[in-house]
Formats: sequence, C-alpha cells, structure tokens
Amino acid sequence: MFDQAVGDVHCRFPVEAMSPKLTPYLLVAPLLAFIAVFTYIPIFTSIDLSFRSWNFMSPDMPFVGLDNYARLLGSQSFWNSMSVTTIFAVVSVPLRLALALAIASYLKREAASSRVLRGALFLPTITSTVSIAVVFSWVFSTDYGLANAFLSALGLGKMPWLQDPTLALLVLILINTWKQLGYDVIIYIAGLQAVPQELYDAAAIDGGKRWQVFRRVTVPLIMPTTYFLLVVSVIEAFQVFTIINVMTRGGPAGATDMLVHLLYRTGFVLFDIGTGSALAVILFALLIVLALLKSRIVGSKVHYEA
Amino acid sequence: MSRKLHTSIAASLLVLAVSATAAQAQTTVTFWHSFNNANGRALDEIVANFEAVHPEINIEAEYVGNYNDIVARLQAAIPANRGPDAVILEVTRYGLFADAGVLADLTPYFDADPLKDELYDYARQIGVIGEKNFIVPFNSSTPVLYYNKDVLARAGIEGEPDLKTFDAITTAARSVNETLGAEGITGIAAPGQFARWGLVMANGSDLIDPMSGEILLDDPKTLEAYEWMASLVTEGLASADGVTEEDNGRDAFLAGKVGIMMNSTGNYVGSRSALGDKLGVLPMPCNPDCAVPIGGAGIGIMATSQQDVQDAAYEFVSYAASPEANAIWFAATGYLPINKNSAELPVAADALASQPGIDVAINSLPHAHGRARTPVVTWMRTTEYDMWQAMALGQRPVAETMTQFAADTRAEAARLGN
Amino acid sequence: MKLKDKGLSALAIAAGIVFLSPVLYSIWMSFQTAQSYYTGGFEPTLGNYATAIGQYNFARYLFNSLLVSGLVTIAGLAVATTAAFAFARFDFKGRDLLFGLVVATLMIPSHITLIPNYLTLARAGLLDTYAGLVLPAISNGFAAFFLRQYIRGIPKALDEAAYMDGATPLQVLWRVIVPISRPAIFSMGLYIFLGEWNNYIWPLVAVGKQDLYTLQLGLARLYSINPGEGLIDWPLVMAASTITILPVLFGFFLVERHLVRGITMGAVK
Repeated sequence: MFDQAVGDVHCRFPVEAMSPKLTPYLLVAPLLAFIAVFTYIPIFTSIDLSFRSWNFMSPDMPFVGLDNYARLLGSQSFWNSMSVTTIFAVVSVPLRLALALAIASYLKREAASSRVLRGALFLPTITSTVSIAVVFSWVFSTDYGLANAFLSALGLGKMPWLQDPTLALLVLILINTWKQLGYDVIIYIAGLQAVPQELYDAAAIDGGKRWQVFRRVTVPLIMPTTYFLLVVSVIEAFQVFTIINVMTRGGPAGATDMLVHLLYRTGFVLFDIGTGSALAVILFALLIVLALLKSRIVGSKVHYEA
Repeated sequence: MSRKLHTSIAASLLVLAVSATAAQAQTTVTFWHSFNNANGRALDEIVANFEAVHPEINIEAEYVGNYNDIVARLQAAIPANRGPDAVILEVTRYGLFADAGVLADLTPYFDADPLKDELYDYARQIGVIGEKNFIVPFNSSTPVLYYNKDVLARAGIEGEPDLKTFDAITTAARSVNETLGAEGITGIAAPGQFARWGLVMANGSDLIDPMSGEILLDDPKTLEAYEWMASLVTEGLASADGVTEEDNGRDAFLAGKVGIMMNSTGNYVGSRSALGDKLGVLPMPCNPDCAVPIGGAGIGIMATSQQDVQDAAYEFVSYAASPEANAIWFAATGYLPINKNSAELPVAADALASQPGIDVAINSLPHAHGRARTPVVTWMRTTEYDMWQAMALGQRPVAETMTQFAADTRAEAARLGN
Repeated sequence: MKLKDKGLSALAIAAGIVFLSPVLYSIWMSFQTAQSYYTGGFEPTLGNYATAIGQYNFARYLFNSLLVSGLVTIAGLAVATTAAFAFARFDFKGRDLLFGLVVATLMIPSHITLIPNYLTLARAGLLDTYAGLVLPAISNGFAAFFLRQYIRGIPKALDEAAYMDGATPLQVLWRVIVPISRPAIFSMGLYIFLGEWNNYIWPLVAVGKQDLYTLQLGLARLYSINPGEGLIDWPLVMAASTITILPVLFGFFLVERHLVRGITMGAVK
C-alpha cells in the first residue's frame, strides 16, 4: 500500500523529471523552506521590531532607534529577571548534576532493579510540564497540599511555599530538578558505560576504596559528559516557561519572573512588541554565546560516543 | 437499496437543507464575557431569553476569563483579525481600544434607543469618552465591605461592627487574628485591585485623575493608602495567598476562613449563598472621604464586524441593559441596577426584600465616582498587580515602589500619546 | 534470581514509587469525589472524568492533541528524512552551508521567534486553525541531523545496487534507506511526537478558540479558572491532568528503549 503511494508520488513529483543536479536541492527544499519561514526570517523580524514602537493595534510602527533597549536595560523588571534566571541556573544546575552523577554511578549496572529505577526517574522527563505544574501546585498549596500535610505530620507549621518569594523560586528549582533528573541520569549512564572497565580494574587492583575510585577515576573521566550536561542545563534554565506560567505567573512579586516569562509578559500581556522584541534579541545573543560554548565542547570531541 | 430507504434518505436530506437555510438566515454574534459559575448561569439565562425574543439572532457566548484575560485576548486578536463581535470590557480599560479605533462608535445606536433615558446617569456615563459612546453598561458595581458575623462575634465583636476607618478595620482584623488565628482564620482578605482603588479614593486621592488625566500614583495620600493596605499583609492580618491570586482571598472568605473582605458588590449573591445569614455587608470605609469607584463593565461592539452583525449585536447589548434582563442580573448577582425600571420588577423587588445587604452598594451611589479610562489605564492596571505584590510581600518599600511606578506610568502615557 | 537481587528490586520499586508519588497520588485522587477529598474520606467515582469530558471538553482536547502531534510527527519526519537523505548521499554545491543552517537551528530557541511567528500566522489568517498549530513545528533540525548521521552509516553499496537496477533517488530513499533506518526514524518520531504533545507556549499564543485547545492548554486553563465555587476542585483538575499524561505513560511502557536510545544519541549531537 505504501509502495503504491510512492508510485503515485513518483509520477507527479518533479525530482526525477529534472536534471540530476537539482535532485538534492529539491530534497532539502521543504525542510529549508520551513526553517527559513519559521526560524531565520523571524530573527530578522525580531531585530527590526526591536527598533520600533508597536502595541498590535496602532496602524503604524514608528522607528524609535534604541529606545526599547534603553527602556529594557533601565527597567527594574529586566534586571530582576536576569538575576532570578541566574540564581535559578546557579542553584539548579549543580544540584541536578551532583544528584544525577551519584544516581547514575549506582544505576549503571545492568540489573533489574536499576532498570526499574531508571524507568521511574525517566518518566517525568517525558511527562507533560503542564500536568507536572498542576500536580505540584497542589503539592505545594498552603492549605491542602501534600508538602504541608507532611510538615504537620512532623509537628511543624505550614509553609507558604508559593507565596513567599524565596520559597517559590526554590520550589520551582526543585520541580525542575525532579523533572529533568532522569535525562541527566541517562546521559551520565551512557557516559559511565563508555569508561573502559580496565581503568576501574586497575584502580581496584591498586587497592582504591570506592569513594577514591569515584573521585580519582570516575569524576575526571566523566568530565566531558559533565561539561555537556552543564551547558545543556544552563541553556534550559534560560528557557524555563511553562511551570512559571502555570504555577506562579512570575510572582510572587517577580520572584520567579524568568527571562522567557518576561518575554511572554512583555509581548502578550503588556503588548509592548518593541520591548518584547528587544528582549528576544538580547536573549538570543545570550543563548548563542552559551550554544557556541556547547559546540566548542562537543566539537573538541571530548564526549564519549557510546 | 429499497425504495423506502431512498425516500427516507431524501426526506432527511430535505430536512437538513431546510434547517441549513434557516440557520443561514440567522445572524450569529460572537460574544466574549467574563462570567462563570453563578454569574455565568445568570448571563446564560439572559442570552436564552434574548434569543427567544429574537429568533433571527444567535448569540455565541464564550467565557474568556477575567477582565484582564479579555483585554489580553482582545489585543492579541487585533493583528489576526480574530476578535469577537461583542465583548465585555471593564469600565477603565476600554479606552485603549476606543482610542485605537477597534471599538465601534455606538453613539448613533444609543441616541436612537429609548434605553438611553432609562439608564441611571452614573451607569450611562461610564461608556462615554469625549462625546462618543463606546460601551453600554451591563454590570455595574461599587466595592462594599463584607464581613462574617460569626467570625467577628467569636472574636468578641458583637452587633454591627465599626469598620468606618482604616484604623477601625485594622483593630477588628487584629482581634480576629488573635482569637481565631490558631484555627487558621485570618482577620481580613488582602484587598483586590478594585478594592485597592476604592481605598485610595476613600483616603482622599485617586490613581489617575478622571478629569485631567493627571497620574496620582505618587500622591502622598495614595502612598498612605498603600502603606496601610500593605501593612495588612506584612502584619499577618491578611494571608499572602490573596496577594498572589486575588480570587484566593475571596474563596477563603466564602469558606468562612476570613473575617472581613472588601470586594465588588457583584460578589454579593455568591457570598450570601456561601455564608447565608452569617454574611454582613457595610459600605466601604470613609478615611475620611466617603468615595467609592464605579466598577464593572459594559459591552462594546467591534468596528471590524459586518454592519448587519453590528446591528444584531446592538440589539443584544440594548436588551442586556433592559429592565427585564437587568432585574434578573441584579437579583442573581448583586451587581447594581443600571436601569431605572428594573427595581420595580418582581424579581428585583423580591431580591431587595429578601436579601439583606444587597442594597448597600445602591445606597453608596451618591458618593460613587467614575474613574479615568485613558489608554494608559490598561497598562497601569496590569502593572499595578506586580507593584502591589512587591509592596504587600515586603519586597520593596511602598514610597520607592509607587514613585517609580508613577514615573513609569507617565512615560508610558507619553508613549501612548495621551 | 538471588535473594539479594530480589531485595534490591523491591527497594528500587519502592524508591521509584516515592519518587513518582506526587503523580501517582494525583491519579489516585482523580478517582475520588471532591466532597470526600475535602472531608478526608475516600469515595470512589468516575465522575471527575465524566465532568472533564462532558463539561470541560477534554475529549475534544485529546483529539486535538493527537491530531496536531500526529500531523507534526508525520510531516516533520517526511521533510527531515528527505533532507537527511540528500545531505548524507549527495554531493552538491552549498551542502555544508545549508546543513550548517539546519544544525544551527538547534541553538535557536523557539521562544525568540514567538512574536514574529505570531505575526506571520496572523497575516496568513492561520491563527486559530490546526495549520497554525502544525506549520511552525514541522521543521526539526535535530531530527534532520540525527537521521543524516544514521544514513551515513548505511553502506553506500546498497544504494548503488538499486541505482544499477534503474531506481530513481526517491525510490532508493523509500525502498532502501527508509527500511534500514526504521529504528532511527521511529526514535525520532517519538521524539517529535512527545515534544509536540507537551508543547505549551506556542499553542498558548496561537489558539484562542477553545475548540482548538490542546490538552496542555485545556489543563492549564481548567486549573486557572479554579473550578468549583469557593474551594478548588482538585480531584477534577487531577482527572484532567491524568487524561493529559496517560497517553504518554502508556506509550512510555511500550517504547522506553527507543526513547532512551534517541535521547542518548542526542547527547552526542
């Protein structure tokens, strides 16, 4: 049945009718067309809009030079957002990596028990972020949540998890860690499995204790994977949006207003398209720097190909 | 295939064709609104009644979310030209859309409509900017002060409490906290934005002067009002729950967990059905001014809709403000009567007689004022939520925050050219 | 199995359950009435699912999610596979530059294109349509990159034999490359499907009409409108949440291996 369909395509599709030189271009054309329309042209549109003033309604979009950038860089909300995003990255990334490496060293063995746990750890990675946000909104709700029920079972008082600025950011970091941990663990396991067993054997023969083997052999050898995960998770931290939008809307008092959420708010709540675009351009520049860092690391072939 | 089957298929096709033609003759008006739960059911009833009188018009009503959600969705819809035909717009936030030419000028309709003379002055004037009429009032409100008699009595405040000034409210809320705090009951709900605006007015100021458009966010009396409101939260008299999400404060009051709540009279019926006779209603404090804002919303019509759809939409807009519709709405929600003839209708008269306190808002109308509705108000209100959170949660001092906020609002107003 | 292994497995299962307990508990909660939830009893019911589907349109949202994710997956695989084939097998002018442009999209987060894409689709009249949800998600630089790597690993002799027999490039792609690459294509299909299933920010801005909501939007909205008058109806919200995650959970148990492979290889990108 599929062959039939291809036969049909074959009759109508122009690839073979043209010169063979054109064939590869026609094959890549659909993908490149989508990429051009939805990725590359928008970058230029963003840059253009970032020099204009527009609110979706006025018929014209006057050119305002660097006004939008000036307003953004002079605004309290931008610097708040930068600092919240930085705190998020600085706290969550080491937490994720340390937990993941510890768990991965334990789970790298091919035993039934580690397969079960790997599965459980991995599940949140592919679960809908909105569902996770909703479930954890309940877990951390003040009056009926699991977290406070747990605290009162221990005889402790209720915590205003999502109403206190510091706690709210911490809660989001924990949820994000919970969700992403499985990914980090799996990457670490792949990295660990690529470490030649002889090295461990050699270290063991030398009479190394487990902790020492871990510190002297595993940690240095796994460094490339760590670098990779470090960059990936920093980039991710700069893109957190869904849990914020569902759980806190950037509050309380801007304490969880990370960059992409500020971008969304500026564009689609305040409808300041110019400033929103300026923020997009700045975010783009930041992420390009991070991505180049990543490709340098990956490019230098320090990562183990499993 | 049997002949009989053929016949029945042909017959059903005919029926389909006929009903399709009938459907075509109907004008469909899409209508975005902000009412769910009990208020939503009252609106559904009004729509159904309208459609019964006007079978040629089909109102496709959609609950979009709160006033902010409507503003956001409407503004996002403009470049895509995917707005509704009629839309509920809050009385201070339609100026932006009127200014941009998004809303149809309803003046010709309204001038020819006998409704114009039936509406109370206070209601009629909310839809006017300059000489033009952009929205027709539907649900008008003022804030009132609700209290839970049971909670206050248990805190030792018997009879009608004295809650006329900020200090009196603080004192009452503190007694509730001290006696019932252990049960998880707090003195007062953090005031929502409508109540905050009202409290600023009660303190003798405003956020933006409705006449001159002058921004008063950093006026000393405005600061004083915000200092007091923030102190309710920072001193623990109000739960921070209601700061991050306004509705949480109301929900806690409805659940009997809060002593005092200042909120729109549109919450009257909901509160009454939740608390029954425990519900008490008082006017907002006078500190010293007795001044309350007129809130609520009216219905506007999109300038981009086709003429016949605009005509049909206006039929609905006019009906929604008629005595029959307004009486149902008033009795079912507690929003103010906007039509002089609604109070006489049995459904409204019954409500006035049987629902103690539903008239508090009506009685406060003599000192109710319209508010600014310049284009910058939309931006100012959206931003105010963040400012309030920062102050109420003790993240930033009030004076600094409001001074900055005032400067930003002036800059934004300049950008919008008003 | 040794006793020690059995013990470890039991421990692992227990640890897994603790780790997943919030989600597991939310599923459990979705089968009880709001009344019993607040009073502390347990009264089993399917009523929350009935309400989510009947009153809050979740059957429609499920259909929309399946349709949108399905279309994105099929179209995404189609354009990625043909492009990957060309990049892997043909030598043409500008190939490296074009491939570089494809790979560079991996570094460009979709959020940056949010406002411009909104405007593009608004001008094309495609907001509030399925096309508006599907089109911007079709190009997937990672899938193209991954499949190209995979195809390069397939011996060229196989193609050449087919060309000898008079096959056209499309026939080679369909009859030789695609069957051999099936595991890679399958992994990428899962990757694209999951990504789209869980997509939130784009549907959030591109869709206003509730008939076109995906599950993610429907759930976020149900939660934000705070169903239940007064106290939030958590069991109802959890039923909606369960509807949102269950299809993915089922899929997960079927294809965990493929997913993990896709993701691990992704790390080497």
